[in-house]
Amino acid sequence: MKERKPNMGCLQKNPAIRRYLWRFIPTMVAYVVVLLFVEWFVHRYHPAGALLDGMAVLPAIPLIGVIAIVGMYLAEEKDEFLRNLQIQSMLWGLGAIMALTTVWGFLQIFTPIHRFQPFMTFPLFWCFQGIAAGVLQRRYR
Amino acid sequence: MGCSLKNPAARRFVYRSLTANAVYIVLIVSTALYFHRFHPHGPLAYLLAVLPAIAIFAVIVSLGVYLVEEKDEFQRNLMVELLLWGLGGVLVITSAWGSLETFVHIPHLMPTMTYSLFWIFVGISWPFLLRKYR
Repeated sequence: MKERKPNMGCLQKNPAIRRYLWRFIPTMVAYVVVLLFVEWFVHRYHPAGALLDGMAVLPAIPLIGVIAIVGMYLAEEKDEFLRNLQIQSMLWGLGAIMALTTVWGFLQIFTPIHRFQPFMTFPLFWCFQGIAAGVLQRRYR
Repeated sequence: MGCSLKNPAARRFVYRSLTANAVYIVLIVSTALYFHRFHPHGPLAYLLAVLPAIAIFAVIVSLGVYLVEEKDEFQRNLMVELLLWGLGGVLVITSAWGSLETFVHIPHLMPTMTYSLFWIFVGISWPFLLRKYR
């Protein structure tokens, strides 16, 4: 049986990854635009009540979109090897983020450590996932 | 999933995670009592604060070990799917809550809640997956 290697060098040849990138990049651009707009709007107009609540949730919508896009990629990816690689790296990321938030949480309860900002969970998860993906790619090279 | 204790890998996972959870309860209660009574500070306080997290690590590790040990590919994929739904739920809630915390005065989401939220979402998605694969 021919040994498989992760096809990471020419990702755009894979239709599922191509679609993923076409969805992911505009969503992240939308996130930056929405975040900057909300920051500017709140700073300038000091909204209150329901309008402020609505504005505050706005930046989370593109991030939720990214989660859905990753789910769609996993559903659409025909290459079982690549899908498993992605899932494995996400599970490592999940383990790491659970470990980090648990340790930080207990330190926050019992010691005078800085508050952990919940929105950091998302980028930190992807950092850990990225590290795991790099290690796994090396393993299967 | 209905009679998972017949499956050796699932049985080991249940025993390991139950043990880790029992250890967790002992550690969290004794740590809280110690802090309440002796008010430790410095490195000792940090060390004691991290203690209960060790039991949570053990649950995470036992999950990983289960995924490695599980011979039944269907059961393993089911568990992976559950974990991914749990992960998605946690990321959605923390992103939305984080945004709200930044701009609106809502209660601070304790980081330890991430772990509980994860299992809540796993629990919610379980019946849906069972229905899907019935």
